[in-house]
Amino acid sequence: MSKSFAVLPCNGLDKGAGCIAREIALHLIEKSESEMICPVLYRIADARYNKIAQEKPLLVIDGCQTRCASKLASEKGLKVTAKITVTEEAKSRGFELGDALRLGENELKLAERIADELLLEKKAEKSLGSETAAEGETVYPETYDYEVYKKDKFIFRVPKEGFLFNENDSWVYIVGNIARIGVTDYVQQSLSDIMFFTPPVVGNEVEQFGELGEIESGKAVFEVVSPVTGRITAVNEELAVTPELINMNPYEKGWIVEMELTDLESDKELLLEFEGYFTILKRKVDEFHV
Amino acid sequence: MSINMLKIGIVSCSGEDCLGGTISRLATRKMLDEVRSDATVTICLPLFLAGGVEERGFAEQFPTISVDGCSKACAKRATEKYSGQVSAAIDVSDLIGTEVAEAGALSIRNLTDEHKAMVDKVVSEITAKFDEALKVAQRDQVAKGFAMVGSGSSGGCGCGCGPK
Amino acid sequence: MSDTIKVIPCSGMGKVYGLVARESALKVIQELCPQQSSTVCLAYIVTGDQEAKELIEGEKCITLDGCPKMCAAKNAELAGGIVTEKVRVIDSFRKPKGAQAGTATELTDEGWLIVDEIAGEIAEKVKLLSREG
Repeated sequence: MSKSFAVLPCNGLDKGAGCIAREIALHLIEKSESEMICPVLYRIADARYNKIAQEKPLLVIDGCQTRCASKLASEKGLKVTAKITVTEEAKSRGFELGDALRLGENELKLAERIADELLLEKKAEKSLGSETAAEGETVYPETYDYEVYKKDKFIFRVPKEGFLFNENDSWVYIVGNIARIGVTDYVQQSLSDIMFFTPPVVGNEVEQFGELGEIESGKAVFEVVSPVTGRITAVNEELAVTPELINMNPYEKGWIVEMELTDLESDKELLLEFEGYFTILKRKVDEFHV
Repeated sequence: MSINMLKIGIVSCSGEDCLGGTISRLATRKMLDEVRSDATVTICLPLFLAGGVEERGFAEQFPTISVDGCSKACAKRATEKYSGQVSAAIDVSDLIGTEVAEAGALSIRNLTDEHKAMVDKVVSEITAKFDEALKVAQRDQVAKGFAMVGSGSSGGCGCGCGPK
Repeated sequence: MSDTIKVIPCSGMGKVYGLVARESALKVIQELCPQQSSTVCLAYIVTGDQEAKELIEGEKCITLDGCPKMCAAKNAELAGGIVTEKVRVIDSFRKPKGAQAGTATELTDEGWLIVDEIAGEIAEKVKLLSREG
């Protein structure tokens, strides 16, 4: 196995969950080239572990919600690659944690299973990386350059380059024949806290101005109007759990669907570039207080 | 910017620890909902403290009134720390009495007519300070040459809940 | 360190969720767990006053945030509180879809039901944490 972590477990000696955290760490050390960071020693003398913490991706293992290991990592300014909390892992597996400090067979099995899954994820990430490199997966910029329009205290951002828009406040970012689609700041500000996203079906064909799912907040339901024609190839699955990503970052992590385009040249006639959309946005914001 | 688009921000504490905080919150909401709904923007204090760019940016640029439930003056101090001097600072305990303000926090389920009267008293004070701040801001605008009068939009709450 | 668990709502002024957070916290500390829980003004603990620090540093806390911005959780942690549970009021609105709880000024009957539900859940967590010691 080529993957490995710098493992920072909590040191919960007064709870079973803390002891399980340690057990998970031990499995990782034994089954991979991961290295252990002792939290107690690290707190008082960090020189010994700084190199490991910098060279390997950091995995933080907290026993419970007090999250001592996470706090230590934060205190030391470490970049955390992955973190787990034993009480949450147990809950998601329907495993009831007892009070005993000595680990029984079930607790030991739980620890081993969690460690194995962590190592498998690492493996899967690695193999996915090589597959996508081979297939030439569409890569999107991590961030964009925005123009800002302010109204009272609300900020409306519109990315300046690379995006096209429709008058229904949807955006599209095109790479080759693939498009990523979402909604603009105007939509997320108008809706306020978004609570649900009903996605379209992957595989469906959608025409320009067709429906691409619904976004719902406590204030309203908003139908996403497709800016382009094509076949839906992906939906942002994170929105099922965290629909507020659309509020937080509508142009980046809050993207909604990806499509394979079938009629871009014709669609472009009814799409707006930055200047055209920015003018419309300002008018909409001035006319309707969000 | 047109004079009609001037807004005044109100930063209120909502102290869960005492009655003064409840009255402060209710009075601020009344300013937004009824009394000066077109020109009020309320600043969400928790978001302000947590680094809300929109809240802090507004308070830097627009006149802001702080409304505190007690003499600890958390809303006033936070505004001055992160955005600048307030145009006016209201201490509810000055208006309803310290002993009354320091009574236990009140659920709105248990509001009495007496509490509503306290809210109205605080609202009167806020309105007076609000109108003063608005006048001063308008004079400044005229002095700077922004004397065009355009159509303003209605006021709103800082957290995006929109007009009522 | 005090004996009570600190229940800290965001009480955000702008949204109904802030009011629900506040009312839920009040119900817990005044009705459901008055001996085991108390609250602290979020704005006060952030001032950095010595008296405020003593109220929060090292104390076990349950925070209630109205919206995903998590102001109470962030501020309580920054002030040195041990936030053992971070409750998000908005998640309760996802359970019956389309719940209309009212406004940031007053709640509907549906809103009060949500308050009671959240308060009940937090009371259970308070009792659990009190037992853990």
